[in-house]
Amino acid sequence: MKKISHIQTALETKDIILKFPKITPITYTVRKINTSPCKDGCPIDTDVKAYLGLIATGKFEKALEIVKKDNPIPGICGRICVHPCETECTRDEIDQPLAICALKRFLADYELRHGSTPDLAGVKSTKKGKIAIIGSGPTGLTAANDLIRLGYKVTVFEELPVAGGMLYTGIPEYRLPRNIIKTEVNAIKELGVAIKTRTKIKSLSKLRKQGYDAIFIAVGAHKGLKLRVPGEDEFKGFLDCITFLRAVSLGKKVKIGKKVIVIGGGNAAIDSARTAFRLGSSVHIVYRRSRKEMPANAWEIEEAEREGIKIHYLASPLKILGENGKVVGMECIQNKLGKPDSSGRRRPVPIKGSEFNIETETIIPAISQEPDLSWLPAGHKLKISKWNSFEVDEDTLATNVKGIFAGGDCVTGPKTVIEAIAAGHKAAKSIDRYLQRKPLKEETKVNERVEFEVVIEPKEKKERVYMPHLSIKNRKNFKEVELGFKEKMAIEEAKRCLKCGFCAECSECMPDCEKSLVSLSIPEEPSGILLRVPLDQREFPLNGNPLQGKFSLAGGKKVTVIVEPITAQVRSELCRGCGDCEEICEYSAPKLQDQGNGVFISKIDEIGCKGCGICASVCPSGAITLNHFTNKYIETLIKHSTRL
Amino acid sequence: MTQFQDIIKRTKAYLCLDCGKCTSVCPISILNENYTPRLLVNKVLRGDIDLLNDELLWSCISCGLCYERCESDVKFHEFIRDLRIEAYKIGKTGVYAHHGTMQSIMRMMTRPDLKQNRLDWLTKDLKVKIPKSEIRNPKSDSLTLYFVGCLPYFDSFFSNLQLNILQIAKSTIKILNHLGIEPVIMPNERCCGHDLLWTGDIENFKKLAQHNIAEINKTGAEKVLVSCPECYVTLKEYYPEYVAPLNAEIIHISELIAENLPELKNNGGTGFQPVKTHSQDGCANSSLKVTYQDPCRLGRFSNIYEQPRQIIDAMGFKLKEMDKNRKSAICCGTSGWMNCSTYSKQIQLARLKEAKNTGADLLITSCPKCQIHFKCAMSDKNIDKKTKIEIQDLTTLVANQLK
Repeated sequence: MKKISHIQTALETKDIILKFPKITPITYTVRKINTSPCKDGCPIDTDVKAYLGLIATGKFEKALEIVKKDNPIPGICGRICVHPCETECTRDEIDQPLAICALKRFLADYELRHGSTPDLAGVKSTKKGKIAIIGSGPTGLTAANDLIRLGYKVTVFEELPVAGGMLYTGIPEYRLPRNIIKTEVNAIKELGVAIKTRTKIKSLSKLRKQGYDAIFIAVGAHKGLKLRVPGEDEFKGFLDCITFLRAVSLGKKVKIGKKVIVIGGGNAAIDSARTAFRLGSSVHIVYRRSRKEMPANAWEIEEAEREGIKIHYLASPLKILGENGKVVGMECIQNKLGKPDSSGRRRPVPIKGSEFNIETETIIPAISQEPDLSWLPAGHKLKISKWNSFEVDEDTLATNVKGIFAGGDCVTGPKTVIEAIAAGHKAAKSIDRYLQRKPLKEETKVNERVEFEVVIEPKEKKERVYMPHLSIKNRKNFKEVELGFKEKMAIEEAKRCLKCGFCAECSECMPDCEKSLVSLSIPEEPSGILLRVPLDQREFPLNGNPLQGKFSLAGGKKVTVIVEPITAQVRSELCRGCGDCEEICEYSAPKLQDQGNGVFISKIDEIGCKGCGICASVCPSGAITLNHFTNKYIETLIKHSTRL
Repeated sequence: MTQFQDIIKRTKAYLCLDCGKCTSVCPISILNENYTPRLLVNKVLRGDIDLLNDELLWSCISCGLCYERCESDVKFHEFIRDLRIEAYKIGKTGVYAHHGTMQSIMRMMTRPDLKQNRLDWLTKDLKVKIPKSEIRNPKSDSLTLYFVGCLPYFDSFFSNLQLNILQIAKSTIKILNHLGIEPVIMPNERCCGHDLLWTGDIENFKKLAQHNIAEINKTGAEKVLVSCPECYVTLKEYYPEYVAPLNAEIIHISELIAENLPELKNNGGTGFQPVKTHSQDGCANSSLKVTYQDPCRLGRFSNIYEQPRQIIDAMGFKLKEMDKNRKSAICCGTSGWMNCSTYSKQIQLARLKEAKNTGADLLITSCPKCQIHFKCAMSDKNIDKKTKIEIQDLTTLVANQLK
């Protein structure tokens, strides 16, 4: 019995139940659905639901294991990820989405506090092949992590004195403390990855001569774009946001004025503004559209405003004002929003006569970046796009030169850390295939996408647990602003998860099942494999309907799946009324009923029945069946457990 | 349908007059109104191929009562048997009792290299001849072979029913020894295949038959003695029909006993013990009242009605016939380890009540299956005490009564 309750807590099954016809079965079947929206929304398919469920039950180590399966830098990601998973979260329809990102961070913090044993499983140089990775940002680190685990020798080259790329030089310390980066980079180093900092690559052919069989370029996008505003090149006091953030991050002395203008609306703009604020300046942000169109994270904008940063929405720089060769201000013009442009956002249209001036000593443009390709030697033969990025095959990340791959921001332009990690994974897979002399393009069987909508019982509203922040007055430094969840808060927040799609694939139930009846597999049919899930009978809402989910396939075909409990059923015409079932049942579910002619027939009380099947096994005439123990189902289980 | 043409012809189904007598006597039809032999024949005659998917195909208990009553001589039970063979070919089966264990054992026995510990139950006082090697000199051996059948398997499988059913085999040998016969017993005997045939598995039935025919013929036995009516009809009728006849005469133990009654009675002046009564008045001379259940395979299928009665009579029991006896006897409720249903149970209870109503203290049968089925029904929970009656196998009884 103890075992069962253990499984039950592992899956937090009471939340899975939406409707259920009766108060009982300890075991019943759930048809597993491909993905939950959070996993679907994540570029690296993190098993979000699994780790949330495990956090909810206090199994932090196991949760971390699941996170690390897909993500080598959870502490970093847990702080700065733009978390598309939260955007997709079903809970948003009820109150607020789960704080998935913060929970991931909690796990990494937990590991930091309690120490960890690095998972060195499979890290042995078992495969032939040396790989050079240029750039130690999230893409490069992920690829290095994957490839060393695949058994290759991996060397990462980094031009700067620190590893981490944009993580270190682009994300300010108050958002991402440096010890977090160092810890997670070190964990990758411990796997055996050599990271050579202060090493600028100048020749790819030289690398080849050094014996590297494959090269992965992941240099990021570190070159700020120009404003193209009159006066830009005329006066002193311009500081590109990338240069600025990098200098601050590397601890260099940066001279900025008391008054600073940041131009742009992305995360780099907000980061620059908040950094300048921490250096003691008063900061204005000039952004040409409204707040709605601002690409920066909403919560970052909010914090910036709380810190007293003035944001001029719908304003564009017209020209730079200067005196004695130095910047003294900027003339701006007010905009209104016109028709949407190619990006889908409404185009800013200047309003005549709305010009205004802002006084400033320093202007920090943060209007986008592109890869800095100045390191490439002349005649390198690599195809470069008109945006100054590498042209690669979308699926394999292979460049036009054999054995050279490129990925991350240097291909896509500036994107998010989670997309960078995804690119790292993709590159590692592709490089592995290249070195194993397999065709680069994997013939993957694309599973028919199963989207699902689950009829959600009106859930009680439960506010999201909010992240504690450093108070505003204590922010004139680079201390981390977000303070992280405590254990209790993490558990409370994780419990808000609605567990869309039933099974979390945490596989916690598998080692517990003595007969290995529980197994997981990706379903080929939309109805999928059945999973036995234990339930606590006290937690059932008794409203008389079976659990029902509507599923729509990619082609628009709708499938309705009903989850039924396993209860034993008696085919009365086959029942001989021997009473063996009544005798053996531990729950007194079967009862013999007199048919009036001295003949007794077993009736099974569905409320008492736990679906264990023991009655069916003793029934001499085969009158008792369990509707889910079909031959096909058992066959699937056997096939799965024996990997046939 | 052409696949039904042969069946219709062989079983004379084309002669069906649609009179419905079969349905009116069928023990299953009486209880389950959905099942009517008449309609099944009718459907086949109309070419209804869907019949093979019909679950009712497996409801027949093959008791042969319908055939007994049929004016037109339609062999309905064989008609069903042949339809089942067709249905089995397309993957249909009945609902196996005991989770198909019996069917599995039977199919396992089709393996040529199967090693069975078949003769472990033999005790020293039982004199038998066991063929040691395959090449044998027939002349040096007894000309009678005892085909034991599945008794050793039933004994262990139904140990919960406390049947002591192996006693039938031991008793058979004891009687044979009494008559001066040392039978040959084969260590590599296999199930006769009766139940596989009736559940439609013709392929495996043939395998068993081929094995047994070859092995029996190898022993050179002139007579094959059986104690099970199902083995009897299988060896005698179905082997020649589906595979090949045996080079031996098939004899049921009741035939042999009846034939040798004078000798048994006066064998060295021993004969039978006087029957002890259970009557409460203590009158020593009153005879024990017994009744007799005619097994379908022995009675209606093989026309052996009188020999068991002669034996019962010779032992000094007072036979009280049930209302439905001999050709009209009611089956023990199920057959072929299949579709043992609530109807089976009702048939069994009704028959037990009928036996009890004769005033008999003992129900005698000569088929191990009858015994298993009745005892199973009586072992059930909530059984009415009024239906409980002691059951004894005829052969066992004879052996016990021998002095």
